[in-house]
Amino acid sequence: MPILEVQHIEKHFGATQVLTDISFSLEQGQTISIIGSSGSGKTTLLRCLNFLEKPDGGSISVNGSIIFDASDPKTQLESEIRQKRLHFGLVFQNFNLFPQYTALQNVTLARELLAKERGGETKVQIEEAGRELLAQMGLADRASHYPHQLSGGQQQRVAIARALALHPDILCFDEPTSALDPELTGEVLKVIRSLAEQKTTMIIVTHEMAFARDVADQVIFMDGGVIVEQGEPHQVIDHPREERTKQFLARYAEA
Amino acid sequence: MLLTVTMSLLEGFGTTLKLFLLTLLFALPLGLIISFGSMSRITPLRWMTRTVVWIIRGSPLLLQILVVFYGPGLLFDLPLLPRFTAALVTFIINYACYFSEIYRGGIQSIPRGQYEAGQVLGMTKRQIFFKVTLLQVIKRIVPPMGNEFITLVKDTALVRVISVYEIIWMGESYIKKGLIWPLFYTAVFYLVFNGLLTILFSWLEKKLDYFK
Repeated sequence: MPILEVQHIEKHFGATQVLTDISFSLEQGQTISIIGSSGSGKTTLLRCLNFLEKPDGGSISVNGSIIFDASDPKTQLESEIRQKRLHFGLVFQNFNLFPQYTALQNVTLARELLAKERGGETKVQIEEAGRELLAQMGLADRASHYPHQLSGGQQQRVAIARALALHPDILCFDEPTSALDPELTGEVLKVIRSLAEQKTTMIIVTHEMAFARDVADQVIFMDGGVIVEQGEPHQVIDHPREERTKQFLARYAEA
Repeated sequence: MLLTVTMSLLEGFGTTLKLFLLTLLFALPLGLIISFGSMSRITPLRWMTRTVVWIIRGSPLLLQILVVFYGPGLLFDLPLLPRFTAALVTFIINYACYFSEIYRGGIQSIPRGQYEAGQVLGMTKRQIFFKVTLLQVIKRIVPPMGNEFITLVKDTALVRVISVYEIIWMGESYIKKGLIWPLFYTAVFYLVFNGLLTILFSWLEKKLDYFK
């Protein structure tokens, strides 16, 4: 059974159709890369999965249970959205770290708030786990730094640790290196690559073609709000079947 | 003579200080409520609030003091409010409107990404407000608030128009006796008090300087 099943997602903003009939599924431990030009709907798709946007049609299932169905209001209760969001983690293009908290506090804040509500872990345990995550990101010595004291690459790695702290079933990345200076993208990609090796289930929206091909089990090419082509990385990126995919990749090869 | 003048100016300054502190006590929270109104998704409420804010900020405080004091009696035959109360009510409404715009600016300057980051981490709206955005808002509103506080100290002098005897009125009473220096002396009170406020606010700014 796939861990995530997205079926016939539709989304429009006013009269503009942004997503049309988006369907795909993802197996536990696998990684999907979504590629496509700006405005193709990639980011909106991730935002729909994280309940930051509400799809106008279609359904989303996690572990076989439907968590969103546009035609069933019972799956859209405001009170349950918070809980459902926790199936997903999201790493933003602009990091969106909380500036008034240290790297460690950024990682532990949400988990501490949840633990306060539900009981369970102590603050000490959560901090310990937070330090471990930062170490895993190569940031053990940056735990008490504030975001503005960190480079973009370091901030993004803190943001990844922050998302991992809540143990999401599926971790989503929205162009995680697009806001970084070129020399800083490597350190972030390396961390994501090692997550893929540890079989973290991920959806990665990216413009890094070589990275998309290396790290993903599946690649989705989107254009104009539809999935144009979908398949194994080598097939989609090295031997695309669709004309639109070829054109898109040709533009990248030139650049 | 210096002692007599000092004592009477101190008495006047007591009124000034009382007005200053009571205005802040009520106008700071009221301003927050008004700012929520002016950011409301309910269009009529938003426009109503913004219209009130426009009227209050757009007309002279002096005029408002006169209207609040004389208005109820002349328009509706109601008993007059005690002078100090009328002044205080006017100041609270007036300053709450100014504060509301400062709050609104501060709240709206927080990037949407901060709210969204909180949301995807499973935080409630309340948690996002108190744990994520509040301190960032405070950091941003400290400098304009400092300005408003200092303006408020000086604006209190206007209440003499309905014969609330604040410090300048006390100082002016010595003109009849041919003395000008008590008037200058009143300025010393303002300068010292506003100096203290300035120090307090720059301390606060420094305190919040650890993040950007």
